[in-house]
Formats: sequence, C-alpha cells, structure tokens
Amino acid sequence: MKKQSLTQRFLAAEWSSLLIVALIMMAIMTIITPRFLNFDNQAILTRSLAPLLIVAFAQAIVIGIGQMNLAVGAIGGMVAVFFGGMMEVWGLPIPVAIGIGLLCGLAAGVLNGAVIAYSGINGFIVTLATLSIFKGLNLGVTKSIPFYEMPQALQWFGEARVGPFAMILIVPVICVVALAWFLKYSLAGRQILAVGGNAHAAGLAGISVNRVTIMAHAISGALAGIAGMLSVARLGVGQPTIGGDWLLASFAAPVIGGAILLGGHIPVIGTILGVLVIILIENLLVLYGVDPQYNEFFVGALILLAVGFNHWRSLRAEAAYKLQEGQA
Amino acid sequence: MTATQLETDMSPPDRRGAAFKDMLSRLAKSAGLALVVGLLIFVFVNWADGFTGKFNLFNLTRNLSVAAVVGFGMMVVLALGHMNLALGSTALASVMIMGWVMKVAALPVPVAVGCGLAVGTFLGLINGWLIVKTKLHSFIITLATASMFLGAVLIVFRAGPISDLPREFTGISKTRYFGWVSGMLLITAVTGVVLGVMYKFTTLGRQMLATGANADAAELSGIPVNRAILIAHGLSGFLAALAGVMFTARQGSALLSTGEDWLLASFLAPLLGGTLLAGGYVSVLGAFLGAMLVGILQNGLVLIGVPDFWVEFVLGLTLLATVSLDRLREVISARRGN
Amino acid sequence: MSTPAIKIEHATKRFPGVLALDDAHLELRPGEIHALLGENGAGKSTLIKIITGVHEPTEGTVYVDGQPTVFKSPHDAMGAGIGAVHQERNLIPRFSVAENIMLEATPTRAGQVDYPEMRRQAQHWLAELDLDIDPDLPVHRLSVAQMQLLEIARALSLESKILLLDEPTASITDHEVQVLFTFLRKLKEKGVAILFVSHKLEEVFEICDRVTVLRDGRNACASVPIEELNRDRVVAHMVGRENALSDLGHRAEVDAPVKLELKDVSTVAGHKDINFTARKGEVLGFYGLVGAGRSELARALIGADKMSGGQVLIDGVEAKIPNVQTALRKYRMGYVSEDRKGDGLILAHSVAENIGVTIWHKIARLGGFVSDAMQRAAVGSYVDRLEVKTPSLRQRLGNLSGGNQQKVSVAKWLAAQTEILIIDEPTVGVDIRTKGYLHKLIWEVADTGVTVLVISSDMPEIVAVADRLIVMNEMAVVADLPNTRNYDEMSPRIMDAIVTSSSDYKESA
Repeated sequence: MKKQSLTQRFLAAEWSSLLIVALIMMAIMTIITPRFLNFDNQAILTRSLAPLLIVAFAQAIVIGIGQMNLAVGAIGGMVAVFFGGMMEVWGLPIPVAIGIGLLCGLAAGVLNGAVIAYSGINGFIVTLATLSIFKGLNLGVTKSIPFYEMPQALQWFGEARVGPFAMILIVPVICVVALAWFLKYSLAGRQILAVGGNAHAAGLAGISVNRVTIMAHAISGALAGIAGMLSVARLGVGQPTIGGDWLLASFAAPVIGGAILLGGHIPVIGTILGVLVIILIENLLVLYGVDPQYNEFFVGALILLAVGFNHWRSLRAEAAYKLQEGQA
Repeated sequence: MTATQLETDMSPPDRRGAAFKDMLSRLAKSAGLALVVGLLIFVFVNWADGFTGKFNLFNLTRNLSVAAVVGFGMMVVLALGHMNLALGSTALASVMIMGWVMKVAALPVPVAVGCGLAVGTFLGLINGWLIVKTKLHSFIITLATASMFLGAVLIVFRAGPISDLPREFTGISKTRYFGWVSGMLLITAVTGVVLGVMYKFTTLGRQMLATGANADAAELSGIPVNRAILIAHGLSGFLAALAGVMFTARQGSALLSTGEDWLLASFLAPLLGGTLLAGGYVSVLGAFLGAMLVGILQNGLVLIGVPDFWVEFVLGLTLLATVSLDRLREVISARRGN
Repeated sequence: MSTPAIKIEHATKRFPGVLALDDAHLELRPGEIHALLGENGAGKSTLIKIITGVHEPTEGTVYVDGQPTVFKSPHDAMGAGIGAVHQERNLIPRFSVAENIMLEATPTRAGQVDYPEMRRQAQHWLAELDLDIDPDLPVHRLSVAQMQLLEIARALSLESKILLLDEPTASITDHEVQVLFTFLRKLKEKGVAILFVSHKLEEVFEICDRVTVLRDGRNACASVPIEELNRDRVVAHMVGRENALSDLGHRAEVDAPVKLELKDVSTVAGHKDINFTARKGEVLGFYGLVGAGRSELARALIGADKMSGGQVLIDGVEAKIPNVQTALRKYRMGYVSEDRKGDGLILAHSVAENIGVTIWHKIARLGGFVSDAMQRAAVGSYVDRLEVKTPSLRQRLGNLSGGNQQKVSVAKWLAAQTEILIIDEPTVGVDIRTKGYLHKLIWEVADTGVTVLVISSDMPEIVAVADRLIVMNEMAVVADLPNTRNYDEMSPRIMDAIVTSSSDYKESA
C-alpha cells in the first residue's frame, strides 16, 4: 500500500470536515465581531466548553457499547448538589468532597449498568427511570434550594484564567486524554469497543458482555459526576438545576462527531469538535445579544445535517466499494 | 382430494376453551395494573385528606385526561418500535400557532383548534418522512427535530405567551359532570376508543403492529411499511397537538413551557400499561390506566404531605419496579415453558 | 490408542419446538482431521456450539481428554484449548486486522496494549497462511474471502489443541484452500485435533482421516475411517435416501399455458440473463448450492429487491413489479421465506394475524374495518385445511413447532389466493412427518392451478417434488431439465451442470 500524503490523510479522517466547519465559523465570527477574539470572550467560551466536553464523553462511552444513558444530566445534578452540600453543610474539605462525589457518580453508573446487564431490560427504559430517581433525589434533598456557600478555593478555581483560557478547562483536558488512552491502550477499553462493534463475536471471544456493560455505565456515571462538580466550580453555586439541559448536547456532540448509535466507535476528536461547534453557535448568539435559548434550534438542525451528511457519505462509500469489487 | 385425509388421528383442538383462557390472560395484564390503581385509590381515599374533595377530583381528572393523551401520542409510535422525543415541542408549536390564530388573527375557535391540530400532524409527518428517508433511528431524528421545533417556536414567539384566550375555548376545561368529573375526560375517552378500534379492528392498525413486530416480514407480506410509519408519526403529532390544546384550555393561555416536562410522563403511561418498547404490541386501556396511576400517585402523594420534590423520585421507582416485575414474570414463565 | 481429545456421548439438544440433536456421538482424536458432515439442519452447528460452550446439551456428556466436562460459556471452552471458526462472521468491524486476530490474546506490556507486539504476532499468523494483508487495515475494508481467512488465522493464533472449522472454505479460492490444507496437515503432525465441517466432499476426501455424518440430529455414521467410504456412500448417509421421502405417487404431466416467463433478467444483486418459463399449475424446482442466487432471484421477482434489466411476463403481458404490494395485489405472487424467524413470519403475533396479514385489504369493510371475528372467519378454513396444530387461532405463533409454523407460512399465501407461489426451502427445520405432508401440499396447491416455484438445497426433495428443474450456479441459470423423479438418474445430471458451469472448472479447462 502506498503511503498517503499528510493532506490526503487529513482529508480521509472523519473529523476533517467538522474541523473545517469549526475553523470557518471562527473565521467568520472574527471578521464580523472582533470581540470574538477578545480574551474575555475566549474565557467565557472555554468556561462553558469545559463541563460540556465531559458530558459529551459521558454519553459517548455508552453510545460506544450501543446503548444510551438518559440519566447523565440527572447524575450530574445529583452529584453537584451532594458536592455542594458536603462542603456547605458538613464543611468537608474540597478533595474529600470531590472523592465522595466521584464515588457517588460511579455508584449511580454501576447501578444503571448492573440493572441493564442482569435484568436484560432495555437501557433506554432503565436510564429513563433512574433519570427521575436521581433527579427526584436531588430535588428531594435540596428542595430546589441551591447551596450558596462554596469554599474560596473552589470559587477561585472556577473564575481563574490562564491567558484566554479558563482554568477549569484543565479538568476536561485530563479526562479526555485519560479516556483516549483508556480506549486505545487498555484491555478494558478495547473490550468496550469490541462489545459495541459485535457483541456476539465479543462474547465468543471470551469477553464478558455484562461486565463491559457495567463498566461503560460506571465510567459514564463517573464522568457525569465530574461534569456536575465542575459546573459547581464554574457557577460558584451548588445549583440543583445543573444537568437539566445536558441531554440534547450530550447526544449531539458525539453524533455530530461521527459516533453511530449502534456502537463500536467512539470518535474522540470528532466529539471534541462537536462540542466546540455547539459552543461556537451559543457564543455567536451571545455576542449578538440573542437569547441563547435559540441555540436549541441550531443544535437540532446540526444533528440532522450531520446524520444526513454521514448517511450520504456511507452510501457513497458503499457505491465506491461495490464498483471496486466489480472491477476486481 | 383434501389434505384432511392425512393425519386424521389428531382430534380437533378444543378451540373455544383455549380462546377463553387466552382472553383471560390478556385481561389479566391490564387487571394487575387496575388492581394497583384501585389499591392506590383506596389508600388515598382513606388516608389523604381532601382527596375526595370535589375540586381535587375535578383537577385530578383534568390532569389525568391530558396525561393520557400524551401517553397515547407516544404509544402510537412505540407500536412501531419507534420513539417520539419531539412530542412536547410538537405540542408547543401547535398551541402557539393555535393561540396566534385565535387571538391575533381573531379567527373562530374551531378554526384555530383545527390549525393547531394540523400543525401537530404536519410536524409528526416530518418526523416520519425523515425516518423513512434516512432509515436512521427515530431516537436521534426526533431528538433533533424536538430541539428544532422548540427553537423555532422560541424565535417566532419571542413576545412570550399568548394569554387571555377566549372563554369559548377555555370553557372546554371547565365543564364538569356530577360536579367532579372533568369534561375533558370525554375527549380522552373518545380518543382512546378510536385508537382501540384502530388497533383492533382496522387494516391500518394491524399494519402498524405488524410493522413494529417484524418490519422485514411485514414488507415481504405486502404491507406498505413506509406508509404505516409515516401515518403513525403523523398520528403521534396529532395526539401531541390534541394534548397541547387540552393543556392550553386548562391554563387559559398558550404557554411557552407547554410540553417541557412531558418526556417521562409520555413514556410512563404506555410502558406501565404493558406496551412494548420493541414494538408490535400496544394496550390502549393499559396506557390509560398507566396515566391514571401516575396522576393519582402525583395527586395523592402531595395530599398526604410528601413534598412535591419527591414525587418524581417515586415515579422513577414505579417505572423501574414495573418493568422489572414484568421481566421477572417473563423469565419465570419461560423457565416453566421449558 | 490415545485418549480422544473430545468425546461426545448421547448428546441431545432440544430447543422449543425443535429437536436439534438426538443422541449424537462424536470422537475426535489428537492428530487427526475429522470430517463432520450433514445437510442443512442436520445438527452440525448445534454439535459445534455444544463443543464451544455456546449451548449446553439437554442430555449427554462431553469428555475433554477423557474427563467429563461442562462448558458454561465460550470462555470455558477456550480455556480448555478449543479454538473455533464459526459459520457466521465474528469480526469486530471497526478493529484492524491485527486487533481482530489477537482479540482473545491481546498482548500487553505494563497494563497497556502492546501494539507493535500485536502487529508482529498477527503478521506471523498471516505469513503462516501465506496472506498478504496489511495488519493495520480495518476489517470492513477486506473482501469476504479475506475475512474468512482472517478468522482462520485468529483461531490458529490461539494455538489450540482442538480446532473446529465450520465451513472454513465456503468463500475462498482453490489456491487459498490449498494453503490452508498445507497448514492443517502441519498442525495435525503436531498432534492438534481438527474437526472439519464442509459441504465440499472433494475436500473431505482430500484431507480428512475419519468421517462422522449427522442426519436429522442423529448419527448416520460415527467416526468411520475415510478409506472405508466413497463419495456415493457418504451422500447416501447424508440424505438417507432410502427412507427420507414417502412416495408421493403419480402426477399428471402439466400442459397448461405459460404463466410466468423471465427474459434476460438481470438484478442489482448480480444475476445475469436469467431465462425460464413456468406453466400454470406447474411445480418448478430451483436447485443450487448455497450462494447460487436462488433466494435473491425470488426477492427480485416479488419486488423486494431491484431488477436492473430484462423482462418479466405474466400471462404473456409484461409486468412491472416495483414493490411487494404490487406483486401481491396486482399479480398475485407470494413468497414463503426460508428464514421464518427473520423475515417470514411475525412470531410474536397470533396465528390468525400471521395468515390474515396478506388479506386485510381484501376482507376489510367500510374504510378498513377488520374485526378479529372477520379475520378468524377468513383464515380459519386454511388452518383447518392445512391441519395447523394450534390450540386456538389466537395462539402466539412462536409457540408452535417449526412444521406448524411452516404450514402457517404457506397458509397466508393460499389465503391471499396467489397464482404464483415461491416457496424457499419448504422443509428446513421441519420434522420428517410434516416434511412429507408439505410435499404433498405443494402438489395439491399446484393441482388447483397455482404455479409453484420451489427453491431447495435438498436434492432428493427437489427431485421428488418438482415437475421440471432449473439448476442455478453463481447467479445464473445453468440448466433447465425435465424431471424424471428418478434420483439416481437426475443427481449426476444436476451435479454435472453445476460442476461444468463453475468458474474454477472453466479456468482449469
């Protein structure tokens, strides 16, 4: 096989078109609103980017095994208020609270995964049910009242900047790098992708499909928990409403990035770019002083465009493959 | 020559007895749920102060009738093995346009309601068309259209809700029978009966169920599968709009928050009622009982002093418990079968 | 004599409604290549799945190295040194060639997947099989033959003491087969026990030492040395001709006008220039090996797949059939699928619904009104006529036996009063008694003037049932033979047509 040039390899990558879209968007925004490149605006952008990146991967890992986790937002919200409550009411130090919060998210994920794996009930229903259980727990405990008294250090972390970047961006960077390593270089990560790609074959190869299901949901829960705690740091308040609006974006980013709902593939760079594009749209609306709620419309349209584009591309690839077969 | 000459040693099976047993087992499915609902009513009547108050019952039946129609809206796509996450936004778009026609264009109420229902049907057809054309999972398609419909409404109706709708319209929600049964329950009952008849007695309903149970086999048996999908989604949009109209009549204004929290409720009612997520089987009565269970639980829990915040928690547990029990029963009966 | 690597005694496996294995035996010794033969549905795959831990036998014992063993999962079987290439593809689509080969034994270093080492080991196994495939290529880019070879490489990489190969040569070329055989002989010398399942008898005689034949889940012969057999005797064991079919009696010659005619039909699936005619009331048999393109042709004919050229004439008039509805409603054509569970029937629905599905539009009154009672009235007579054994018309179809399900498959098209009925593998997964009944039914249906196209891979069946035979091979019609219903006369003619039309044969000639 011939070595491809760098350009060819770039164009062959599934995320290349998305990167071009993101770059064009940034270029246009720079031209029409010079404020876009402003450090303040960049900090705003990266601050909202941070939790969403983790949320997207919390969903992506479950999509990877061909399932869904409707409860990402509910887990995030629940862990967020526990995190806030532990510090305000019990006065626990930040690292301890983080540790317990992480365990809490993990446990919620394990619960989802175990129920799905051992009962054989569709993951959609299970996570729909646990969505209300976790959300109910959150509201029941807080009675919808936020925890306001967050430690100084946490508030500082939430507001600090390094040049144009928000400090909190470091958390998703660590998480994503760790996850990318996990998926590529650990046996467990390979098993997740193998089960998503062909669960029957994976089972025949001696991989425990149940164990992998639980693991994927556990990681999803832990990531959702981290995203929840990061949101607390970002807002400076333990808001019970955290996670309420994550559902759409959590699916949108991986799907725009090239994930298929049948599983077997987690596009790491694609998902990052998917989140970036979503945030850019939001930022554009903010810069124009339009209500950011309109974001919904564009994100929805973007999903349709992306799935339409991927559908068209796979049809074309299939046609090209058939042609090649015919000639052989 | 007939085939009957072969294997004449087999006695004709006792068809009537078996059919009776079959009917009983079908009834038993809904009967279990009805029993739970009955038990709940008994508990609340005795221990929840104010449960039997006329106004409380009126309110309860009013909420319940909307919730049941929402459940029907999801049920008709579950019959195909599909989902419609855009149910809430479809309702929102429908009622806002209805409100606009009623209030701003000042057209007669029936025309406005007709417009609203037409918009819902149209949006449902869009969902169906996208699913048929792209052959993608209905989850992702309706997730996308849900936000598009919502976003579009927020952009178009920037000015906010449309309030002070004509009395002629809001009156629908004020009618009472016996002083405590909401008149809207009649709309729900008629809708339920029509749907029941459709699934049980019409070609179209049977085609939808066959498509849901095994789309490939349905296709090879000469069923217009794509048409069935398109119509089912159109129907889902219509029912969403209808639920939206009923909700709006109760509120007196076309609110931008319409349909915002319908997701759980829309799945709860049919799933509690035994409709399969995989498609191919629906229970209209079950969906109604499911909506009843949810409505009574919500109402009663608040009355016995459970804080509002815990209600959702209980609903989630109820769903999980129901599907687990159902699954358990399946596993046990499968073991006995072997 | 050495201890057998695998010994299976009195193995019985029951599935709901089906007896897949019935007291089967097998003995596999180290250092032998053992052929496991049998027709479709004879129980070979079930036996293999028992050895690989996918199924547990209902009765009977598996001995590994003389020890009675129960495998609870494929993982257990693998632990006992059993490697397998299954009939269905078991590759992970997005993974690379190397990752797929090393899926069971992924090398790690310090907790990390060691990609260079993985590539090196994969390369080694690819080289052993003389395969020139880039180990970094994702598997969905491979050809079908390459995928098949890849699965073999994967089974070899486990260095199992026992190797099961289920149809390993189904889609690979002669050259690749020879490379594989050379390697299998090497393994045999090393003392590996190899179980070899194939439809291709030449291969069996070329490489195998002993032969076990299954028929209807039982041993037609068990562990017979290959020297004691010849081709004819193996075939006789497989089809059990002497008692497989009841005598269907005499059938008058069909001399009705032509009902269906295909002229130079080609399809998107790859058929080229298909020509044949079928008369009213005729039973036309389609024989061919798996992959000859018979079912695909049927699907194109009823409008489920696309045609790309040629003409279909029905009653002498050109017919355009864009979809199944047109085939059913306008031309009265029906198709009984070979895959009852997949696309033939709706097993979760009732018997009545499954038969009624084709006639709802006909029995409906007043804008589509169909009651259960109307449906039962419309389908009841067919259930009676075909003697479907069901407690009620409301019975869930999945609860009936395979034979009764097949009767329902036929009933739904009879109810639709089809004039052209295509029946694909009419007796697959059906017990002997019902088998004879279904053959008789095909004749009865034809006697009422229906044109019946029967597709079957069961040569004795097709010779017994058909009035005329169309032989297909590699997506083309290769012979159109009048049927004498004499098996000894017809089988060489059919095989000859297939062999001389094969591209391998043409190349060597």
